[in-house]
Amino acid sequence: MNIEEKLLNIRKEIFLTGYSVSVAHLASAFSIVEILYSLYINKNMKYNVEDANDENRDIFILSKGHGSLALYTILKEVGFIDKKTLSSFCKPGSVLGGEPCIPYINGVEATTGSLGHGLSIATGVSLAKKMDNRNEKVYVLLGDGELEEGTIWEAIMFAAHNKLNNLIAIVDCNKIQKMGSVKDIMSINSWKTRFEAFGWKVVEVNGHDVEELDKVFKEENKEDKPLVILANTIKGKGVSIVENDPRWHWRLPNKKELKVFMNELNISEEEIQKCKEVI
Amino acid sequence: MQRSYINALYKLMKEDKNVISCLSDSGTDYDEMIKREMPNQVINFGISENNKVAAASGLAKCGKIPFVYTTNAFLAYRSYEFIRDDVCLQNQNVKLIGMGAGLSWSTLGSTHHTTEDIAVLKVLPNLTLLSPCSPKELESALKCAYEIKGPVYIRMGMSGEKEIYDSDVPFVLGKNNTVKEGTDGVIFVTGSIIAKVLEACDKLTSEEINLKVVNISTIKPFDVNSVVENSVLPIMFSVEEHSIVGGIGSSIADALVDNNINTKLVRIGLNDTFAKGYGTHDEILKMNGLDSESIYNKIKKELLK
Repeated sequence: MNIEEKLLNIRKEIFLTGYSVSVAHLASAFSIVEILYSLYINKNMKYNVEDANDENRDIFILSKGHGSLALYTILKEVGFIDKKTLSSFCKPGSVLGGEPCIPYINGVEATTGSLGHGLSIATGVSLAKKMDNRNEKVYVLLGDGELEEGTIWEAIMFAAHNKLNNLIAIVDCNKIQKMGSVKDIMSINSWKTRFEAFGWKVVEVNGHDVEELDKVFKEENKEDKPLVILANTIKGKGVSIVENDPRWHWRLPNKKELKVFMNELNISEEEIQKCKEVI
Repeated sequence: MQRSYINALYKLMKEDKNVISCLSDSGTDYDEMIKREMPNQVINFGISENNKVAAASGLAKCGKIPFVYTTNAFLAYRSYEFIRDDVCLQNQNVKLIGMGAGLSWSTLGSTHHTTEDIAVLKVLPNLTLLSPCSPKELESALKCAYEIKGPVYIRMGMSGEKEIYDSDVPFVLGKNNTVKEGTDGVIFVTGSIIAKVLEACDKLTSEEINLKVVNISTIKPFDVNSVVENSVLPIMFSVEEHSIVGGIGSSIADALVDNNINTKLVRIGLNDTFAKGYGTHDEILKMNGLDSESIYNKIKKELLK
């Protein structure tokens, strides 16, 4: 299976898992698939499936918790959780909710859901690692709409002041939030200049290009600044009618739209029927 | 109490390098001295309480024991969601220390008063709430907070509180302690306003009215047995530098209802209002009916009914 097929299958599984319970932030999950793929599948992050609390592991925090389906699907791919657990998403008795929650999900490091918390938690972890002279890295994935939260900028200042160069913030710049484009709601011309002005090292990448992501994750941060990766992405990437359309922030397809999902994600009628039956 | 806090924290920091003093521009010269001695154990987050609370959750995740210290009102209200989601929900070993409980910041007005914190914080699962009444009790509370492996909130005064204990402090987590015996009724009290209650009691005693005084230094977990045991007395009072809505009086009322006890309870505190006026701590207590004379009058009036 080539990488395109693997990525397609991940999006397919994200969709089917959400569709099975009629609950999903599909578009927000679709935009971060390649970022998580690079970190987890291509092992640009250190983790230990046998011991999720391995003290030598890097830490990943999904601050935009509503992208949870992408994270859960990747955690299943690498073996932190099994297929049965993934299929239980948002069903009674499941540990997998719409937003990640500790301590019951192997591989999930922090409870998130309310936006603007993850970066601050990550700065605390990064600082503790520095205090203890440890080499692990701390990754935190944020939404670009999330950057409107004030606490994010408290954390940005704090991380730069403390020279947390073990901290890597990735911004999923899909340019869309629930009610419209980020630019229309909060006219920010450039996240790059803002982060730079706040003392961060900034790298811009195509957030759907795994090779490009691999390269930037592998590159050592030699500066005494925290690193932000501005990942330019497409909200809803992978399904044409979802892409770049804010209406898809929190909805699932109707019958007519479902045909497009099935066609573009290579989903059979049988798989649609089956996903509704899985308990 | 600030001095006691710094001294007690200093001892803990010396004993355990994982104890971290987290400030948000909220320290004093003593903190600067401690930072010079233990630079790796003092962090000034700047004026950003929310980031500080969430980052403390991250520090605790890595085995640190952050003592998050700032003006009580800013901690309890501004950072509420961060306390809820990042500390309590994730059950992280973070200690939240509110400096200036009640009306301690007497000249700065209601933005700086902490008169609803018990109401909003006692509903948070996993959180232990301590409310020491004197410098010595604060030291015991701080040591207790350190020993608990989980979130703890301590509210403390900052007005040169009097010491009410002669020698050892009978502080036990989750247990109220009797400060004065009496048979004509019982006053439950929390925090440094206990000094005013004891003054009111002196006057009542001179009139041969002997009220028992019980110090509630652990607000959560609440000592329900203490309420049940004292319900044999003719009347109960609660006195707190806090709204009567959701404070210790409410916790006592809950305990009475839950145990099907029909005892008269009179709650003395701020009556669903923000505090009025400016002045010294004593003056603002008087303006809001919480000085010893006002407490005496309210109790006397009830006893004469």
